[in-house]
Amino acid sequence: MITLKEGNWRIPKWNRKVFAVAGGLTNYRKFCAEMKLEEQVMVAFRQMLENNDLKLSPVEIKGLINFLACGEFADHFQDQLLCEAKVTDYLGLDPMYDIGIKTGGATGGSTVLTAAMAIASGYADVALAVGWERMSEVDTRTGNYYIANAACKDFETRLSRIYAAYYAPMAIRFAWAYNLSEETRAKVAVKNHLYAYYSPYSQQPGKYTIQDVLNSPMSTYPLRFLECCAMTDGAACLLLCDEETAYKLTDKPCELFIAGGSHTLRVADRRDMEIPLLPHETPEMYKGLRKKEGQRWPGFESFAAARFAAYFAYGMAGISNPLEELDLVELHDAFTISDIQTYGDIGLRPYGEEPDYIESGDAYFGGKCPANLSGGLIGTMHAVGATGIFSGVECLWQIQGKYDKFHGDHKIWESFGKKKPADWKSLQVPDAKQAAWVSHAGVGSHVTVGILRKAF
Amino acid sequence: MAARKKIAKYTGKPAKVLQSEPALVIEWPRSLVHRHTYGKLSPFFKGLTEGKLLATRCVNPKCGEHRLWLPPRADCPDCNQPMAWQELPQPVIGTVHTYARVEYAGAGIELTTPYFQIDVELPGVCTIFKGYLQYGTPEIGMKVKACFRTKDPTNTILDVYWIPVLDDTDVRS
Repeated sequence: MITLKEGNWRIPKWNRKVFAVAGGLTNYRKFCAEMKLEEQVMVAFRQMLENNDLKLSPVEIKGLINFLACGEFADHFQDQLLCEAKVTDYLGLDPMYDIGIKTGGATGGSTVLTAAMAIASGYADVALAVGWERMSEVDTRTGNYYIANAACKDFETRLSRIYAAYYAPMAIRFAWAYNLSEETRAKVAVKNHLYAYYSPYSQQPGKYTIQDVLNSPMSTYPLRFLECCAMTDGAACLLLCDEETAYKLTDKPCELFIAGGSHTLRVADRRDMEIPLLPHETPEMYKGLRKKEGQRWPGFESFAAARFAAYFAYGMAGISNPLEELDLVELHDAFTISDIQTYGDIGLRPYGEEPDYIESGDAYFGGKCPANLSGGLIGTMHAVGATGIFSGVECLWQIQGKYDKFHGDHKIWESFGKKKPADWKSLQVPDAKQAAWVSHAGVGSHVTVGILRKAF
Repeated sequence: MAARKKIAKYTGKPAKVLQSEPALVIEWPRSLVHRHTYGKLSPFFKGLTEGKLLATRCVNPKCGEHRLWLPPRADCPDCNQPMAWQELPQPVIGTVHTYARVEYAGAGIELTTPYFQIDVELPGVCTIFKGYLQYGTPEIGMKVKACFRTKDPTNTILDVYWIPVLDDTDVRS
């Protein structure tokens, strides 16, 4: 039994406020032949510096950056150690210190956390969180094998060598415990592929039906291909500052809070524990939760790392009821099931009622707290080291009221060799003030929850 | 007479060009062999080849966790003290906690697809043990029996697998 003591429960605290001011993305694709890794990072960096309505010139802003946090999931993919040095040099930011960050699928979130800590501590006034992945360096099955090295190599990797096979048992168990239908899972895929249809950055846009999803080829039963993210080449950048610099750079800064939680690499090792409650929850809510034999928390149904990350991040930001206080979320939908599992962990629904977040309509554009309007991982990208930065950037643009600017401008579509759909529609959440995003690794080994709050 | 010039010769194999437009893409072969130790868990993997399932238990009387660990650990995560080995009594009968049918596997898979991966609850064990079902169709709550690849062992986790327990006769090993 994991027993936590007072110090473990301490809510993280910045020594001074941290702000996000600008972001940049790339055209996410399976294989970007015409650009190398650092050249793709340059695309995201230029968008961040040149297109975010910043009040100083790109060269002036570069003159303010004095720290970089660099996210990259796996050296296996890049096949190049010390990519951080290549990128920092290529962006013209030498000799500023860059730290490489690696926490699996949560690498992007951890990268933002590291950059934020640099600002909060006073180490830096302006810090760049930048992440990338070049997954096309190998074919898809080899890529799956590499990713399966993020399961335990002694006890799990040889049992499938593909990550869907570590989530599929969770899907089976969750359906058994909490009555999740295949149709509800499919609805998550339909929603996120559809939202990706409105994004010029997206890799897997599509107007699918529930039946299309259920009829798509099987990866590991019960997860179909259309329920899974794909291998992506791409990069993302997010610029963080202290308060004074933030207002010097933009009229639309957002205050940032971010925290993380960790749990065992193997789901198998997650012993039953008491559920840490979020501010709006009571012990009575979960009295009947373990009603079936053998049920445990977090077990195969939930992610303690996500629950702890939410607990700490909500504590930092003073959020007492996430569904009421968040205007949108970007979740780590690597698989439909992991998306659904997270609804309980971050308090969008009580544990056991996660499917209702989809079925009620709350998760859709126009709903109470829409999820993954970016298209998420299933629809838009999972260039792993960049992912948790991409999700944060999409939240930032929503709060800044710039969804249309960054998704509806036909010049962006054309610069990627794409045509803006004739039936394109805006997914700008009206008057969005606060957003949260989740960055998630392994089968829940590392999770960060970040919160951006309108500060203008 | 001038000494013969020593020239550096190319001894590699030219990289195969996969495409030349819009950018030059070459093949970059990799064939590597790593060396990996099972460390203090070596008794577990040796045990599989002898038809034994070995777990560990914390023997520190001051520790709060005295159930078995499987996968085993050499050291207790709660009190950080060394644990002791204990063999599970034969036949090892467990219950399917959850499962998945692997249809599309990554490179290097050593089992024929499709097959069922299962996660097994075992009495007295605080963790859940992942393996594969050699035949049959699993469901949650189904009883399964551990079998071992003692002949031609793989020296990996694949030396233990499970079969369905259909009636009492299957329980007798």
